[in-house]
Amino acid sequence: MSVTNLLENWSQFRKSHPEGDVPHAEYKWAMSIDLDACTGCNACSVACYAENNLPVVGKEKFLHGQQMHWMRVERYWDEDGRDFPDQGAQFLPMMCQQCEAAPCETVCPVGATNHTADGLNSQVYNRCVGSRYCSANCPFKVRYFNWYDYPTTDDVWPAEMSQQLNPDVTVRGKGVMEKCTFCVQRLSAAKNTARNEGRSVKDGEVQTACQQACPTGAISFGNLMDTESRVYKQWKNQRVELDKEEQAKDKEEGGSKLRGYRILEDLRAYPSVMYLERVRESAV
Amino acid sequence: MIENGMNRRDFLKVLGWGGAAVALTGCGNTSVEDGKELITSYVEATDYMIPSIGVYFNSTCAQCDAGCGIMGRVREGRVLKLEGNADSVINHGKMCALGQAGVQAHYNPDRVRDPLLRSGSKGEAITWEKALGLINEKLGGAKGDEIAFLTGGMSGHTKALLGNYLEALGGAKHYAYDVTAPAVVRAANKKAYGVEMPHLRLDKAKAIVSFGADFLGAWVSPVHFSQQYARFRKGENGQRGVLVQVESKMTLTGANADRWLAVRPGTEGVLALGVINALGAAGLYLSEDVKSLVKDYAPERVSKETGAPAEQIGKLAALLKERSPSLAIAGSAVEGYAHGSQIAAAVALLNQVLGNVGKTIEAPANVPFQQLAPAATGRAALVALNDALAAGKVKVLFTYGANPVYSASSAMKFKDNMKKAAFKVAFAHYLDETALEADLVLPLDSALEDWGTFVPAYAGDVAQLGVQQPLMEKLHANTRGAGDILLALLKQKEADKYKGFEDYYAYLRTAVVQNKAALGGAGADDDTFWGETLSKGLVKFGAAGGSLSGKVSAADVALPAAAAADAQFPLTLIPYVTPNQRDGRHANQPWLQEAPDPLTTVVWDSWVEIHPKKAAELGIVEGDIVEVTSKHGSIKAQAYVFPGIHPEAVSVPMGYGHEAMGRYAKDVGANVLSILDPVADKVTGETALNETRVKIAKAGKRVIVVKEEGAAGGKQMGKKIAVRVSTDKVDLSEEV
Amino acid sequence: MHRFLRLSVLLIGLFVATGSHAAETAPALTTADDLGPQVEQPIEFPHDRHAGDASKGGMQINCMYCHTYARRSASSGIPPLQKCIGCHQNIESVKDKPRIKKLFEYWEAKKPVPWKKVHDLPDYVRFSHERHVQRFVFQQGRPVQEACGYCHGDVKNMTVARRSKPLSMGWCADCHQKDHPVDGAAAAKTAKGPNDCWQCHK
Repeated sequence: MSVTNLLENWSQFRKSHPEGDVPHAEYKWAMSIDLDACTGCNACSVACYAENNLPVVGKEKFLHGQQMHWMRVERYWDEDGRDFPDQGAQFLPMMCQQCEAAPCETVCPVGATNHTADGLNSQVYNRCVGSRYCSANCPFKVRYFNWYDYPTTDDVWPAEMSQQLNPDVTVRGKGVMEKCTFCVQRLSAAKNTARNEGRSVKDGEVQTACQQACPTGAISFGNLMDTESRVYKQWKNQRVELDKEEQAKDKEEGGSKLRGYRILEDLRAYPSVMYLERVRESAV
Repeated sequence: MIENGMNRRDFLKVLGWGGAAVALTGCGNTSVEDGKELITSYVEATDYMIPSIGVYFNSTCAQCDAGCGIMGRVREGRVLKLEGNADSVINHGKMCALGQAGVQAHYNPDRVRDPLLRSGSKGEAITWEKALGLINEKLGGAKGDEIAFLTGGMSGHTKALLGNYLEALGGAKHYAYDVTAPAVVRAANKKAYGVEMPHLRLDKAKAIVSFGADFLGAWVSPVHFSQQYARFRKGENGQRGVLVQVESKMTLTGANADRWLAVRPGTEGVLALGVINALGAAGLYLSEDVKSLVKDYAPERVSKETGAPAEQIGKLAALLKERSPSLAIAGSAVEGYAHGSQIAAAVALLNQVLGNVGKTIEAPANVPFQQLAPAATGRAALVALNDALAAGKVKVLFTYGANPVYSASSAMKFKDNMKKAAFKVAFAHYLDETALEADLVLPLDSALEDWGTFVPAYAGDVAQLGVQQPLMEKLHANTRGAGDILLALLKQKEADKYKGFEDYYAYLRTAVVQNKAALGGAGADDDTFWGETLSKGLVKFGAAGGSLSGKVSAADVALPAAAAADAQFPLTLIPYVTPNQRDGRHANQPWLQEAPDPLTTVVWDSWVEIHPKKAAELGIVEGDIVEVTSKHGSIKAQAYVFPGIHPEAVSVPMGYGHEAMGRYAKDVGANVLSILDPVADKVTGETALNETRVKIAKAGKRVIVVKEEGAAGGKQMGKKIAVRVSTDKVDLSEEV
Repeated sequence: MHRFLRLSVLLIGLFVATGSHAAETAPALTTADDLGPQVEQPIEFPHDRHAGDASKGGMQINCMYCHTYARRSASSGIPPLQKCIGCHQNIESVKDKPRIKKLFEYWEAKKPVPWKKVHDLPDYVRFSHERHVQRFVFQQGRPVQEACGYCHGDVKNMTVARRSKPLSMGWCADCHQKDHPVDGAAAAKTAKGPNDCWQCHK
């Protein structure tokens, strides 16, 4: 296999779904995040702590980079050396991008992280042996490792605090990797209800915890297979295609005047999260 | 669905925590097990109680005074998560980080569980009968005006009961105190618009210029404003609203501005007048008195005084002229300085000149029952109380929802003065600094266990009464609701009037049902109306606002000359109200400690923001422990070199440096409030928060700042990560 | 180390399961057996007396009469004590029997009976009773006792319930790999159970 062949016929070699699987027959969960609406307030991140039993690690472990926020808000400044950041900061909510050809999946030695038919990148805790290869291979650095057995660590969930834990989500033990799931427990519940009624999940019927909290409604979440869904319409409107590593609109002369983009698209991971560029007024 | 409170509490009663209800680690029970765990059933269950299915109950958030409607997800008798109540006119189903952390206030392991009576330096658990008896006994030896009640923000029926109690005590005084309250803004608004908090139509404005109002982060009603902000940004036909923020220290709102204008501390009013001047020059009509007021504020002078580029002042004026209606908001600049009222008047004048009054500044909805309306909180209240304590005029002091021993400046000597009161009673959730100084501590139900009503601090266009109800059975048997305690105390004084109410719940139900006609329930059956009210978690008053009446004139604005440089204390200290910590009352909620400050991304500690230029001048680098010294003390904290601050100022966040309040709050960071100079706004007497002059010096040690910025130091390394585009390169009109 | 042991348990489960794989067209679905230990309960509840066939002295009560949550929720739960009392307060003939006396003692003390869990899946498993009951009983029209019996065995002939199936992943997957009719109509649409990891792992 020549390198040219590999590059030209990439999609043949880079499989995003298991052999024989029928991908995206009914669902392809995806997101779109409007950075112009995002204020960086952190409501999404704390909502994620509440929903997904994330441990609070404390100052010392945070210093060692062992924080566990599946949803983090990154903050960037302009890098042009002006005295003041007089066009503000740039905030970016960052969570697992649920890549279609996820770099983390292919390196797992025990198959603990897999692609689901709904286009999610699953993490199976009891299968994980803690090699951390997936985290090393993740371009977005959104995988978090349990360096300690938080359920038995003092001050993580002492006394009554453990009563807040969500029974729909496992409390992870030491030595396993974890990450954003797009609130799969909510998706499962919604899918079950829909199946009982012999239909598909309707747009707006299920929300992720971050989306539900977001005060400015910056986060949209839904089924990309459903042409009536807001997410589908946004992706289409912004001309961002899931299975392309380069969008046609970006090659247009003079720019497309659209602001949808995916982060590190050229790595060919095909992320399921589209961001909408932050806008700043040119008149002031 | 819900018949009455007692039944409701019974419904929520779960008779055990074993079995499926408790989530264990995925590595705990790893294989199929037989007969190891218990499976506990309900003794009696109603139809909607189904194991493993969450049921939502509406209530009202008590994390701040904004009064957002919440709904708690309750499963197997435990409240797991809070979501926003979509019917609430304040938050429309949305939540902030603070609100999310409400469950951690409830499940906090450091809650007070029994009434505690001081015995030397320890608290001894006593019975409620003894505690209430003791209060009655101590009150017997005090006249009405020797009794003081210090609270934080209060509204609704708890406030009404408190008012009645103070009256029953023969005119005891109520001091409503909140460090972060927009007290000067309210007073200035009253003058300029005739109302304390007009309805700000961010969504209708095409351009907003905010003078330090952190309406997206920590100012008044952030979730409400954030939603309006989202609509403002979407605009109409793709014309997006433009936000300009004028301040000395970048707030979360400043970080979201199209243009952030860093001004020298205290010169916000100068800039406002400069903009009016520039508007006049651009052809906007100005009355003669306004013209003469602003004639000296030409762009060059304003630029020199404020430090903002003259070109930006012109651009800002052009923008405001073109994009009408606009909106100017006066925020923390007004709370900050001795001439704060003047800054507010200058901003109001700007609104008037731009013709915004009546367009983007509207009359708020009326709260028809003044007894229930939010108490006007401020910082002057604490000064007044402190003076009374110092003069020995207070014999019995009650505190509720306020922690002055922590938040008062050391210059006030509040802790010492408090000792002069013979008997101090703290209504407390936790043993905070103030509760530790009390003689008697009364343990409170959490906000998720208690009954109550709230009127939001900011009404918007519809007045709303938020109903708070227990979302689960009490965690600790011996805590009580604030309303229940007040009722019990009232019964000591006026048994006849209150004997009909078995508890606060009964009082609340009677109060609401009796007035159902005014609450939109005319003609409804009592039980139905009450049931529906609890089910919705709120009632709308529906009283439309009138029109605005006040007016600001040029004569109201008299800005002082620029302050002379202070050689000994060269820098202005800006205590920052962070979205997560506010005045420090949430310091014991670990999610909020671990959630990075949005701007610095620092966690679990205080920091001192210094502009890179100033830092270079002083030889300070990130992580240096610096000593910040004012006339009234000094604190040590790690330096954070931060571009979003004026070089003549340093900023330290409020809320850290607790000496008590439980494991998550204690000894985390330093308390900036303790070193503030007690300077007051000249008109209102409210303590001006940014009037403290400081010097900073390296204290020798250097630490690694624990922050979320990441390995690349928050740099994009030339990749397309967080992308920004300017409006002339994008077409928003066709967006979905 | 225990991880590897667990894997071997799973493999054995899978092996046992495939052994009974032959008769796919048989009308009733059968699954592999694996008898669990006898669990001692606070009250020796006679399932056979309540649900058993009339010919054997049972009352043929529908499983879902008592286990009412199974069709509505992921967790089947245990019926509230109220439910037991609802019938038993009117059944004079057994009121002085020791088991019933004990039952009323709990009721009067308003205390739940501390039942032991007989079918306890690992904590990382998300299993929905509702989905299975809806699918096999309501959509496909299978008899209730048969559908419940896929996983719980022949409870109507037991006194205190005893686990009789392995409930291992291989055993679950074995069934999920089969084509089951989607509704009652024979030869109509069939579908397999989901095979996503996240369908069952949480």
